[in-house]
Amino acid sequence: MGTYSQYAWLVPLFPLLGFIIVLAAGRLVQRIGGPINVLLSIASFVVAALIGWERLTPGIENYVWNDWTWLKIGDFNITLGFEINNLNALMLLIVTLVSMLVQLYSIGYMAEDDRKHVFFSYIALFTFSMLGVVMSENLIELYIFWELVGVCSFLLVGFWYEKLEAKKAAQKAFLVTRVGDTGLLAGILLLAWNMPGHALDFNSIFNAINAGDLSSGVITTAAILIFIGAVGKSGQFPLHTWLPDAMEGPTPISALIHAATMVAAGVYLVARSFDLFVASPTAMLTVAIIGGFTAIFAATIGLAQYDIKRILAYSTVSQLGYMMMGLGVSTTFAAGMFHLYTHAFFKALLFLGAGSVIHAVHTQDIREMGGLSKHMKITTWTFAIGTLALSGVPPFAGFWSKDLILLEAYHHQPVLFVVALVAAFFTALYMSRLFFLVFTGKARKPAHPHESPAVMTIPLIILAILSVVAGFVNLPGSEKFSEWLTGVAPEEATSYVPMIASTIVALLGISIGAVFYWRPKFSAENVKKTFLPVFTVLNNKYYIDELYQKTIQVPYDLLAAFIDTFDKYVVQGAVSLIQYIVNFVGNITAKTQNGQLQNYALVLVFGLIILAAVVIWMGGGAEVWAISGK
Amino acid sequence: MGDFGQMTFESMPHLLTALVLSPLLGILILAFIPSSMGQWLKRTAIIASLLPILIAGYVYANFNHNAGVMQFVEKFEWTSISWTNFYGSQPIPNELHLQYALGVDGISLPLVFLTALVAAMAMFASVLIKKRWKLYFILMLILEIGMLGVFTAQSLTLFFVFFELTLIPMFFLIGIWGLMHREKAANQFLIFNGLGSAILFFGIIWIITTAGFTVTGNTMDISADQPVAHFTDFIPTIADNLNNTDTIANATEWLKPYGLDTTYLLSNSTKWTLFILLLVAFGIKLPMFPFHTWMLRVHSEAPASVVMIHSGILLKMGAYGLLRIGLSFFPEQAQESATWLAILGVVNLLYGAFCAFAQDELRSLLAYSSISHMGIILLGFAANNTIGYSGAVFQMISHGLISALFFMLVGSLYERTGTTSLSDLGGMSKSLPFISAMMLVAGLASLGLPGLSGFVSELMAFIGLFENHPTLTYIAVLGIILTAAYVLRGVMNITYGKLAISTKMADAQLVEAFPMVVLTAFIILIGVYPSVLSGPLDQSLHEWAHWLNHTQAGG
Amino acid sequence: MTINMLTAFLTVSAILFSIGMFGALTKRNMIVLLLSIELMLNAVNLNLVAFSKYGMTPSLHGQMFTLFSIAIAAAEAAVGIAILLAFYRQRVTVNADEMNELREP
Repeated sequence: MGTYSQYAWLVPLFPLLGFIIVLAAGRLVQRIGGPINVLLSIASFVVAALIGWERLTPGIENYVWNDWTWLKIGDFNITLGFEINNLNALMLLIVTLVSMLVQLYSIGYMAEDDRKHVFFSYIALFTFSMLGVVMSENLIELYIFWELVGVCSFLLVGFWYEKLEAKKAAQKAFLVTRVGDTGLLAGILLLAWNMPGHALDFNSIFNAINAGDLSSGVITTAAILIFIGAVGKSGQFPLHTWLPDAMEGPTPISALIHAATMVAAGVYLVARSFDLFVASPTAMLTVAIIGGFTAIFAATIGLAQYDIKRILAYSTVSQLGYMMMGLGVSTTFAAGMFHLYTHAFFKALLFLGAGSVIHAVHTQDIREMGGLSKHMKITTWTFAIGTLALSGVPPFAGFWSKDLILLEAYHHQPVLFVVALVAAFFTALYMSRLFFLVFTGKARKPAHPHESPAVMTIPLIILAILSVVAGFVNLPGSEKFSEWLTGVAPEEATSYVPMIASTIVALLGISIGAVFYWRPKFSAENVKKTFLPVFTVLNNKYYIDELYQKTIQVPYDLLAAFIDTFDKYVVQGAVSLIQYIVNFVGNITAKTQNGQLQNYALVLVFGLIILAAVVIWMGGGAEVWAISGK
Repeated sequence: MGDFGQMTFESMPHLLTALVLSPLLGILILAFIPSSMGQWLKRTAIIASLLPILIAGYVYANFNHNAGVMQFVEKFEWTSISWTNFYGSQPIPNELHLQYALGVDGISLPLVFLTALVAAMAMFASVLIKKRWKLYFILMLILEIGMLGVFTAQSLTLFFVFFELTLIPMFFLIGIWGLMHREKAANQFLIFNGLGSAILFFGIIWIITTAGFTVTGNTMDISADQPVAHFTDFIPTIADNLNNTDTIANATEWLKPYGLDTTYLLSNSTKWTLFILLLVAFGIKLPMFPFHTWMLRVHSEAPASVVMIHSGILLKMGAYGLLRIGLSFFPEQAQESATWLAILGVVNLLYGAFCAFAQDELRSLLAYSSISHMGIILLGFAANNTIGYSGAVFQMISHGLISALFFMLVGSLYERTGTTSLSDLGGMSKSLPFISAMMLVAGLASLGLPGLSGFVSELMAFIGLFENHPTLTYIAVLGIILTAAYVLRGVMNITYGKLAISTKMADAQLVEAFPMVVLTAFIILIGVYPSVLSGPLDQSLHEWAHWLNHTQAGG
Repeated sequence: MTINMLTAFLTVSAILFSIGMFGALTKRNMIVLLLSIELMLNAVNLNLVAFSKYGMTPSLHGQMFTLFSIAIAAAEAAVGIAILLAFYRQRVTVNADEMNELREP
């Protein structure tokens, strides 16, 4: 029994406390709200680190606490609690660490904003909810926090509420992820009625699968429904459209929510309920194919974007696809989770670096940047490290995790292996394009960029270090991390094919980027002109947004308008008709109301006589005769 | 065996009467305040409306949460009428006993508290009323008596009396203090609800004179020389008569010598007729598609504080009546018609959501949203299991709180901007940050965000419905996307974006902010810790389910 | 014998009632009208007394009600004549046809 694990509830408690304090104090803590939250998240990081350290003990038991009855109706007993195992201990570490660094960074980034206390309270609420997702021990609890992170994302994307784009993006983010969430909810409902005792905790699901209590049809349906939830949250095709738009939010949010943590929750969900997926080959194949397709699909879009944050956003979508594919092609969740873990660091680093750049030049268009390396040494170096890590150049962290996924794909799904290699090539290409355009060459627009303050660069440096070293925990041949995470030693023999192949495509991508954008031997404009139709399609993101607009939004508006018209004219018309008939009849009968009391009385008497006649004729009143005849 | 007969009598025998009649005290005091003293009338009304909360809180605190039976029961004979009827050729004295019976169980207890709470919050919101305060507040308090009575009445007659008592003050509240087309709205309100009441009255009389037939009791000894036939309107007795196999067997035994076997036991087709009558009568109140048009007008014409009560509580009277009378009297019919009920629920849910999406007026949007949310209550009823029923009751409470909060906000917003049109408003977060934040909270609660009350009820209703109707549940689950779509559209068009009205406005005053915060606190409380309601509810429904299964086994 | 007694009483009261009703419906003079109504009331009283004596479950209730109804009839006559006087002052007639203010305008 763990000593630290039983205090794991402290981890989400600190940010919750921060949220309540900052929310309640409001403007009073406008200046110190940020530092308060940073201190609290340091506290929660320390607890998470202690738990993580404790989990390193070999053979340690998982800690489960679920004694709080949230709702009990009939046979249903929904409890809240938490479970600490290696998987969520790792997630706790990632979330608390990235959240802490991002909040530190935000103190600098949001210094000018009038509503920064609101911002920090939202971030604290988000951190709390995200930790809740991670620690949940049953599906309903997970769903509760799952929705809460969604709403925090919504609030933060729309943080600058006066911007029309921010409003639209927030709305879109909420609605599109909600489509996924309904899938998750439906999956939960399905499991609730099929699990013995309506138990929804992960251990019971695992046991039920092993005991054969669930039919394979139920398992496949439930797994796919849950995966729909993951697709929505992790921005997988076809529900990816909200994620790039979500870049309207403040950049630290993009780093924390839309790169490192919340969007990875989908991957985490699949890993957490991996038992369900493993039991259904169909579901696994679905995960792998959707993941692989998203990886290459988003990477190609990334090639043709000009907004620095959007490029990174498509890169996130693509990398999340990678993770999904890593889960889908392998027999354990080690590969996907390893990539999640490294990706959290280098993608947060890239976003924060981008934020630093935006902070300096006040634009997001990479065509208007250039030559920033002279003015922003730390940002440039750390961004370069992030780029190399994302591109998968050894020995940076991204290389090792990407390699593990490629290895699994190489062994199990060779087609997807090729797809993943191509995606890796595109990744390297768009990242080098981004890097060289922004940091090298000449400034394309007059500006006076300056390095960001220390409070912003320190998180960059920490994340850069992690982006270098994080991969070393799981080197091929001594895969300690995989073993620790999943409890089983990896079965596939290490192969050098994927390793060499991925290194080659990464270097190739970077070199091509370099010859176009760093030391221009060829003009990128010429290439663009040659492939103009292709470029247009990519630049417009395959017209998916327009497609949804035409096939979903417009018909929906029309349908709503039609039903509304139906309601106004047909239903209310029918009601008015009844009203009209009543009025009409009333007007006619009112004419008999001539004011002559004696007439009224006469009618009354005749009515009485008729009634009496009817009663007698019907044979009623027999009793009266009977009595008088007795 | 009669699960309905078991009750506990408390040491304070008239607590519920005191609760129901407590607004009278306020009326009495208001009657002595000159009608020109607006401030004093407002203060008195607010303070007077706190009294029912106190008593309701006392009832809640002293309620035995571990027993599902009816508690704090008061039962007196109100009036009795005797006549002679002929069973075959033998004249037998008949006695009709109308009861004055009050009582609460786990289902009505939360609704009673909700009524007291929302009514008091509506009094706070009524500070925005501009004319004829005295009459207004007296009518509001009469309305409160009626509502409290409906949720505590345990006899059909009393239920009907209180049910009707709400109509009259409501008619004047809409007709005098409403907006432009207030009189038309008031008339339509009266016509529709009058129609519903007529149907209800017909059904009630039919039930009393048939199923109210009592066979058990001291005076009903079969062997005695002069048997007396009793008719009662006591709800638990009637439910027992209709569904307890022992009681039915007894009645059959008693009636046999007179050659009567079905008249008082209700044939299947009679039960169906009555069930449908009750469904329509309460469906008008609920409102159920296609009887919903009257409430659209009320929502868009009545003053916000009145709509708080209307949408928050009056609609729930329909749902409660359907549960307490319709479903508890005719469970077999409810079970057999579950599919249709579920379809009606889904239609309400989606139809309301679609219409809400097309509105350009916040009030109409919220009206359609109410229709949509009432669909969830129907879904819970259609589930026919404990969790579904609890979902329905939770939804009554949750929607009561949320719509009260929403209309509170609508009132405050209208007071400041003079419009509730979505296209005229925008960027209100800038000028009215508190009201906008509250509106966002209300919206999120309305679209079923976990941690707020709406989620709990939706979750339970869906879980319940899934047992027998998975396909309909999948469709209903899609409804929550539509809900999110219209709620976000409404709320974000008002609070986000460029500031549309640049006049300087003062944010909510304390007297407005207080009820908003209180309502929000309850929404969060129920969302975070639903056990606060589910404990007694579960116990009561457990009794119910026990007897439902009994019926299933028997039939 | 009870049968005949009840029948006899009921017959008398029916005759009385019919006469009263005829007067109430046909006479135009309101004083006559009031008198006719009194006649009908008395017919009812007679019925009540008859049933209370010879009915299936004889009791004093019927006679008590008769007392009530006599008192109310007196009050009613007073109110009726008061209305009549007021009406006469306004219209200078006691003709019932002139009283038609109840109709829809």
